Amino acid sequence: MKSYVKLVNFEVNRFIKIYVSLLIITLLSQFIGVIVISTGLMKRAHEVMFEQNLSEKAYLHQFGGFDFTHISSTPWFIGPIALCIAALIFYSFLIWYRDWFGKNTFAYRLLMLPTARISLYFSKATAILVLIFGLLAFQMILLPLENALFESLIQENFLQTSMDVSSILQSNGILGIIIPPYFSDFLISYGIGIMFVFVLFTSILFERSFRLKGIVLGILYFIAAVLLYLSPLFIIGNETMPVLYPEEIFAIFLVLGIFIIGVSIIIGNWLISKRVLV
Amino acid sequence: MIEVNQLTKKFGRKKVLDGVSFTANKGEITCLIGINGVGKTTTLKAIMGLTSFSKGSILIDGQKINKNMYEKVAFIPDAITMLPQMTIKQAMQFMQDFYQNWNQERATELLTFFKLDEKSRISELSKGNTAKINLLMGLAIDVDYILMDEPFSGIDIFSREQIADVFASHLIEDRGVIITTHEINDIEHLIDKVILLDNGIVLKEFNTEQMRQEEGKSVVDVMREVYQG
Repeated sequence: MKSYVKLVNFEVNRFIKIYVSLLIITLLSQFIGVIVISTGLMKRAHEVMFEQNLSEKAYLHQFGGFDFTHISSTPWFIGPIALCIAALIFYSFLIWYRDWFGKNTFAYRLLMLPTARISLYFSKATAILVLIFGLLAFQMILLPLENALFESLIQENFLQTSMDVSSILQSNGILGIIIPPYFSDFLISYGIGIMFVFVLFTSILFERSFRLKGIVLGILYFIAAVLLYLSPLFIIGNETMPVLYPEEIFAIFLVLGIFIIGVSIIIGNWLISKRVLV
Repeated sequence: MIEVNQLTKKFGRKKVLDGVSFTANKGEITCLIGINGVGKTTTLKAIMGLTSFSKGSILIDGQKINKNMYEKVAFIPDAITMLPQMTIKQAMQFMQDFYQNWNQERATELLTFFKLDEKSRISELSKGNTAKINLLMGLAIDVDYILMDEPFSGIDIFSREQIADVFASHLIEDRGVIITTHEINDIEHLIDKVILLDNGIVLKEFNTEQMRQEEGKSVVDVMREVYQG
């Protein structure tokens, strides 16, 4: 357990510089976006009022006011989130391959540590999850601050509605997936995310254990896991099958997700303990 | 004692090791010799559980390799096993964090002996200093057995001499060492046992002292006989 915690700390620290850079990019891009777009909206509103000789009331009647959705759907806002997601997906591969490739083979050292090798698997998975939830928490902190800044930059009369974090999340489809407003949605989104990490890690270990054959085995394992997880959809879509309540469908996906994670860990443990090559 | 029994390993259809058997005792230096590709490194990796094998068994003091064995056996490969961005100090700290029997006193002694600066980055080290750091990382763990893969490979004569001096020092005595090397001249006088490998099989196994006394042959003489006919 002690080694596992040390390994998690070690793995997180290895990515910390890039991670902090991602946080800074997110912060700067979203805050600059709020300033640029808010001032742009106000400027444009005044230009339209001047050109069309409209009063504030007439402008608002004709075009409506502004709210945070004017920000949350722009590349300023979504761009850094997409960048963070891409970086973490890429790092999910790199977290393994960086130990094998290059002049210095750190995999030797990791595999020879006096600890159960499954600790390596769990520590890398935990590190990825810590990084994901860290970004999520950071975004949750930024959102009300950005919203407050937006509301301070928009003239009070032009503010359509004062939105709280929950309504911002519900108003934007992409943001609603990344930070689900309801707990059940959160479980689904992040349950799938956690499952993806474990299935991917086991697929990578297939490749690291059997090399060329392992690539095929890894891809097949990944496809099999995806098909198994999606299999209820084929049954639900079949008219001859009984209709299921949403709670029942949720329970089926939950059980399948836990099963796939469990199988991935068991196979991953066997591969890293008995088959992996350096 | 490390016991390797009928070790067989295949890469595809090719047998890299074909029933290799030998023992290595504590307090002895056992040398695995053979041209490139005969299975020396694979044997060491198999002992350390870094590669699987098709048949045979490996026992270390009567036990199969498991996580606790890494406190008992250290492997020093011919590639550096630390992250390039680490300083030597950070690398030693890493080892101290994970190995209960890391001996910092011995690590410092080796650092001084090799005249290395703990602030140096691993990536900035020369090939010779890299080999020394590898040796340090293995020798500073209080293990009973040390496996070394080509510790003299591609390094300058002065670094070779320094490493050979370590073999003759108290840092090695009482430990069991299995070493693979082509640079046999540097440590021939220190080796207790030689295992000559070819095409994945043990061609000959002999005690060096016995060979010198009874047949008047050096290790190199026997190698010539065996490999060149």
